[in-house]
Amino acid sequence: MRRIFAQVRKELTQLVRDRLALALALLLPAFLLLLMGTAISLTVDDMPLVVQDLDNTPASIKLVDAFRASLTFRVVPWPVQENPVRALAGNHVRGVLIIPVHFEQDLARHQGVQVQLLVDGTDANTAKLVAGYAQSVIAAYNVRIAARPQQGIQAIIRLWFNPGLDSKKFYGPGIFVLVLTLFPTLLAALSVAREGEEKTILQIYVSNISAHEYLLGKIFAIMVVFAMEAVLLTVLLFTYFGVSLVVDPTPLIVGSILYAFCVAAFGVMVGVAIPNQLGAISVVALGGFLLVFIMSGLLFPIENIPVQLRWICNFVWGRYYIEIVRDAFLQGAGWSATWWKTLVIAAIGSVFYANAWRSTRTMQLKY
Amino acid sequence: MFGFRFRALLFKEFRQMRHDRRIAFVAILAPFIQLCIFGFVLSANVTNLPLGILDESQTPESRELISALTQSQAFKLQGFYASPQALGRAITVGTLDAGVVIPFDYAHDLYRNQVAQVQFLLNGTNANTAEIAQGYASEIISVDNLRTLHVIGAGGPVQLLPAFLNNPGLVGSWFMVCGVLGMLMILNGSMICSTMMIKERSAGTIDQLLMSPATTSEIILAKIIPLFILLGTMTTVSIIAIRFIFGVPFHGGLGLVILGASLCVLSGIALGIFVATLAKNALQAQLAVFFLNPPLAALSGAFTPIEAMPKWLQPFTIPNPVANWAIIARGALIKGSPFDVLWQNFLWLFLFAMILLTFSVIRYRKQLA
Repeated sequence: MRRIFAQVRKELTQLVRDRLALALALLLPAFLLLLMGTAISLTVDDMPLVVQDLDNTPASIKLVDAFRASLTFRVVPWPVQENPVRALAGNHVRGVLIIPVHFEQDLARHQGVQVQLLVDGTDANTAKLVAGYAQSVIAAYNVRIAARPQQGIQAIIRLWFNPGLDSKKFYGPGIFVLVLTLFPTLLAALSVAREGEEKTILQIYVSNISAHEYLLGKIFAIMVVFAMEAVLLTVLLFTYFGVSLVVDPTPLIVGSILYAFCVAAFGVMVGVAIPNQLGAISVVALGGFLLVFIMSGLLFPIENIPVQLRWICNFVWGRYYIEIVRDAFLQGAGWSATWWKTLVIAAIGSVFYANAWRSTRTMQLKY
Repeated sequence: MFGFRFRALLFKEFRQMRHDRRIAFVAILAPFIQLCIFGFVLSANVTNLPLGILDESQTPESRELISALTQSQAFKLQGFYASPQALGRAITVGTLDAGVVIPFDYAHDLYRNQVAQVQFLLNGTNANTAEIAQGYASEIISVDNLRTLHVIGAGGPVQLLPAFLNNPGLVGSWFMVCGVLGMLMILNGSMICSTMMIKERSAGTIDQLLMSPATTSEIILAKIIPLFILLGTMTTVSIIAIRFIFGVPFHGGLGLVILGASLCVLSGIALGIFVATLAKNALQAQLAVFFLNPPLAALSGAFTPIEAMPKWLQPFTIPNPVANWAIIARGALIKGSPFDVLWQNFLWLFLFAMILLTFSVIRYRKQLA
C-alpha cells in the first residue's frame, strides 16, 4: 500500500512540474466544456424568415405580425415582384412565407386559405423545426381569428425535466462526460507510454514493486486528477449551465469514482500496449474521443443509429456515465434507474485493468 | 522557382512519402471510414419514440386516437399504464420518452362538442427531440381532428403548406457528410502535415535543408505538393462516396466543389505547418493539433446549425475553414448556388491558408535558434 501511495505522489509531482500537462489537465477541460457546451445546440431561434405578402391587407398584415411576434422568426420583407426562391440561394434565409392574393377576401368568405411556406431542406433537422414552428404560429393565429369556441381534441403538452427546452442543459452534462473521458485517458496513456519511450520503465522493473502496485499507482494518480477536473467542471455546470442536482447525489458520486477508474484503466492499458507517446495519442483520440463522441448518445439519441451498428454502443463506457450524469442533473430517477449502469462501468473498467495487468505482470522487457 | 533545385527537393519528398506506407493508410482509408461512420451514425431524426398510454376513457373514440398516434413512425407504443404515477415513473426512469393521458370524460366531451383535452408528457431533456416530437404530436392530433369531426378546415381557416426545397425527402445525412468532410480535411491535413514537418527537425536533418541553397519557400512548397496530392486523393475518394454511397445530388458546378476542396485541404496543410513551426517536438505538435481541432469542429456548423449558436459566438465561425467549406459544399452540391453567392467563403478559405503559410515561411528559418 505504501508503495502505491509513494508512486501516486511521484506521478502528481511530475504532473505539477510539467506546465503543458498541467494546462492539459485543468484549463483545457474547462475551456472545452464552456466552448462546446455553448456552441452545440440544434434548436434555432431568431431565424430570418422572408415574407412575400402578395395580399397586403389588414388580415395578411395580422398574420405577418403573428410571425413577427414569435421568438423563433425574424421577419424580412421581400418585394412582390422578385422570385422568392432567390432568397433561399444565399446562406442566411431558411424559409420563405408566401401569402397569396385574395387572402383577406377568402377568409371573409369562410373559405380555407392556403399559405405557402418554402423551407430550405439542406439541413433536414432545422427544416423540420422551421416547419413545426410555422405550423404552431398559424394554429395560434387560427384560434385568434375564429369567432366560435374551438372544438375537437386539444393536446396539452407538458415538457418535463427541461421545460424551457434549454439545449445547454442537455449538452452541458454530455460535454462534461466527453471532457472527463478525453483528458484523464490522455494523461494516463501519456504517462505510461512515456515510461516505455524513455526506458524509465526499466527502473520500475528492477525495483521490488509488483505489477498491480505499478498500475494502481498510475490509476490512482489519474483518479485524483479526474476528481479535481470533475469538481471544477461541476462548478461550471452549476453556475454557467444552470443545472442543479435534482436527486440524491450518491449514484453520481459512486458512478464518478468507478468511471474515473474506468477511464484511467483504459489510458493505462493503451499506454502499456503502445510504448510510444504519439501512437498512444492517436489511439486515445480514436477510442476515447471519437467513440464517446459518436456512439454515446451525446449529440443525438442512440436509437437513431442504424441497428447494424447500434450494438457497439453497449460497449461504450461513456454512454453509461452520460446517462448517470443526466439522471443526476436533469431527470432524477436515482438509484433505481442507474444501479446497473454503475455495475457496467465497473465491469468495463475491470476488463481494461485485467488487460493492462496481463501485459505488465511479468515486469520484464518484451522482445 | 521550378528550377532543378526545386525538382530535386520535390523528388526527395515524394520518395520519403513512398517509404512510409502507413501514411497512405492514415491519410486515405481512415478518413473514408470516419466519413461513413459519421454519415450513417449521426442522425437527428426523431422516430420510434417510446410512448406510454394511460387510457382512463376506454372508449372506441379513445382507442381511435391511440391508433392514430401509434400508426405514425414518430411514436412506438411501449405499453399501457394504470396510473399517472406509474406513467410518470416510467418517463423519469427513461423507459418512455412520451406519455399520453386520455381523461375519463374524453368521449363524453367529444359528443357534447366541447373541447376534449388530452395531456401529452414529453421528456424535455433533449431539447431538439422534444421540440420535434411536440410538432409531431400536434400534427397528429390536428389530422385526427379533421377525421373525427368530418369538417373541412377544422384545423382552422388558414392552412400552411410547407414545401421543402433542395432536399424534399429531408435526408439528414446530406447535411452531415458535407460538414464532416471539411472537418476530416482540416484534421487529417494538419495532423499528417505537422508530423511530417517535425520529423525533419527531430531527425536533425533540418540543418542540412536550411544550409542547402534552396530558399525557405522552396523547401516548404516541396513539402506541401506531395501532401496536397495525397490529401487530394482522400478528398476525391470522399466526394465519390458522398455522391454514390450517400446519394447527395450534384446540382451545382463540380468546379466550385473542387476549388473549395483544394483551398480547404491547403488550409489544413497550412495549419499543420504553422503548428509544426511553433512546436518544440512531435509530442507538442500532436497535442496542439489535438486542441485546435475540437474548437474548429464545434464552431463550424458541421454537426449543428450555426444559427443555433449564441449570437456572440457566431462571428468566430466566419474565418473558420471548416465552416466555409461546409457552406460551399452544401451550397454548390445540394442547393446549386453559383459563385457570386459563395465568393466570400472562397475568399476566407484563401486568406486563412495564405496568412498561415506566409507566417510559417517567415517562422521556418527561426526554428533553428
